[in-house]
Amino acid sequence: MTDPLDALRAEVEPVRPDAAFAERLRERLRRAVLSGAPSTMDSTGTERTMAETVTQQTVEEPEDLAWGPTLQPHIHVADARRALDWYVDVLGAKRRGEAYVMPDGSIGHAELRFGDAVLMLAEGTYPGIPVAPPTGELHSTSLNLQVSDVDATIERAESAGATIERRPDDQPYGRVATIVDPFGHRWMFNQPRGAAPRARHGEVAFTTIFVPDDEAAKAFYGAVLGWDFASGSAERGWVLTGKEDSFGMSGGAERPEVQLCYRVNDMAAAVERVRANGGQVGEIESKPYGQLVECSDDQGTRFQLYQPPAS
Amino acid sequence: MRPDPAFGLLELYDDALPHVYGYLLARVRDVPLAEDLTAETFLAAVSALRKQPAPELSVGWLIGVARHKLADHWRRAEREQRGLRLVDSDQQDTVDPWDEEVDVMVAHEVLCQLGPHHQAALTLRYLDGLGVPQVAEHLGRTVHATEALLVRARNAFRRTYRGEEGAP
Repeated sequence: MTDPLDALRAEVEPVRPDAAFAERLRERLRRAVLSGAPSTMDSTGTERTMAETVTQQTVEEPEDLAWGPTLQPHIHVADARRALDWYVDVLGAKRRGEAYVMPDGSIGHAELRFGDAVLMLAEGTYPGIPVAPPTGELHSTSLNLQVSDVDATIERAESAGATIERRPDDQPYGRVATIVDPFGHRWMFNQPRGAAPRARHGEVAFTTIFVPDDEAAKAFYGAVLGWDFASGSAERGWVLTGKEDSFGMSGGAERPEVQLCYRVNDMAAAVERVRANGGQVGEIESKPYGQLVECSDDQGTRFQLYQPPAS
Repeated sequence: MRPDPAFGLLELYDDALPHVYGYLLARVRDVPLAEDLTAETFLAAVSALRKQPAPELSVGWLIGVARHKLADHWRRAEREQRGLRLVDSDQQDTVDPWDEEVDVMVAHEVLCQLGPHHQAALTLRYLDGLGVPQVAEHLGRTVHATEALLVRARNAFRRTYRGEEGAP
């Protein structure tokens, strides 16, 4: 007799899950792979052990472990612990997650955060992976790092054992210097000149929260998101600490709203296009950091346009 | 130094994810639960890959890990629900001949209405096509107990499928 329930047989049909879920899980998985040391010999690996391991690995996520930028250099050094300390002390890097320690005690993988960039680092060499710490005089890469004070960085680097290849000097694009660090890696430091917005034409250069009561808003976002504001250039204007060049708050507004400020390449032409398409344009203001104008679109949404000074 | 075998899992992730998720979603029919079990599966795979001897990493192997997670889930659910009702103690363990054609769509819905241990037994036995000894292994029961469970599960399924009284 055939079993009617045999009709239930279901082959595995792939289903693409929610993209946000897929990314979150990728990040959890990545951290589990990078942070957990391999377990010791245990051939009796049963469900119980697996379930326990899962519990241990799903503990609270460190806040600085957002998915990294698109390109992340990965370097090899002979002494990873010393190198990590050096990059933190001298270059102001922040440790990103736990270092992954190999069974022999060496560091198989560690990550550092420099601003919005991530540097990956491994110690020594691995069989079958043709990468090694630098040895010779010729380099194939230079790590180009933006710093806020290139002279101070060079001073710290020199006293911490770096070889100074080129002392700070002014170039059209900023004040630059070059070193080889004690681990053989070459760095170029660049202190950008004046206002150097990251946003390109059409991208959001600055976000401003407009509120009637700025003190209340500082307290609210401080409590909710841990934000800390420093006073900005305008009266009752504030900038978010750590995002001074891109995020601010303004008090005394008639109605609460969030306004986006878009970078444009040609202010006169952009303003013309706003008008031609039914938008409203205010007065173009000249600021130390460039030209700014308040606009609204043809439905009344308010926004700003910004053009940095010509360099 | 040897490379961590779990690194391979990151490389396989994009290809394997829809298979693991698809397998689980088709069996639990609940998106948040399928997501939870998918996450459990991949994280459990990391530690399993580091054991000696290391299993061979493949989509098929990951489906096997997912199947264990699914069985675990039903076991947890069964423990939670046990206090709420008498476990089919009044039901007979006899095999009742049944020879009709089952509407698969309806059957999947019926399956979701059954108690966790019945769902577990029928899913592993029929949707996954496992033999009774493998079902027993996944459920942590003896083969004999599993056979009895399958009989009760089939009876419960049939009562619900036919809309008979006493159905959950």
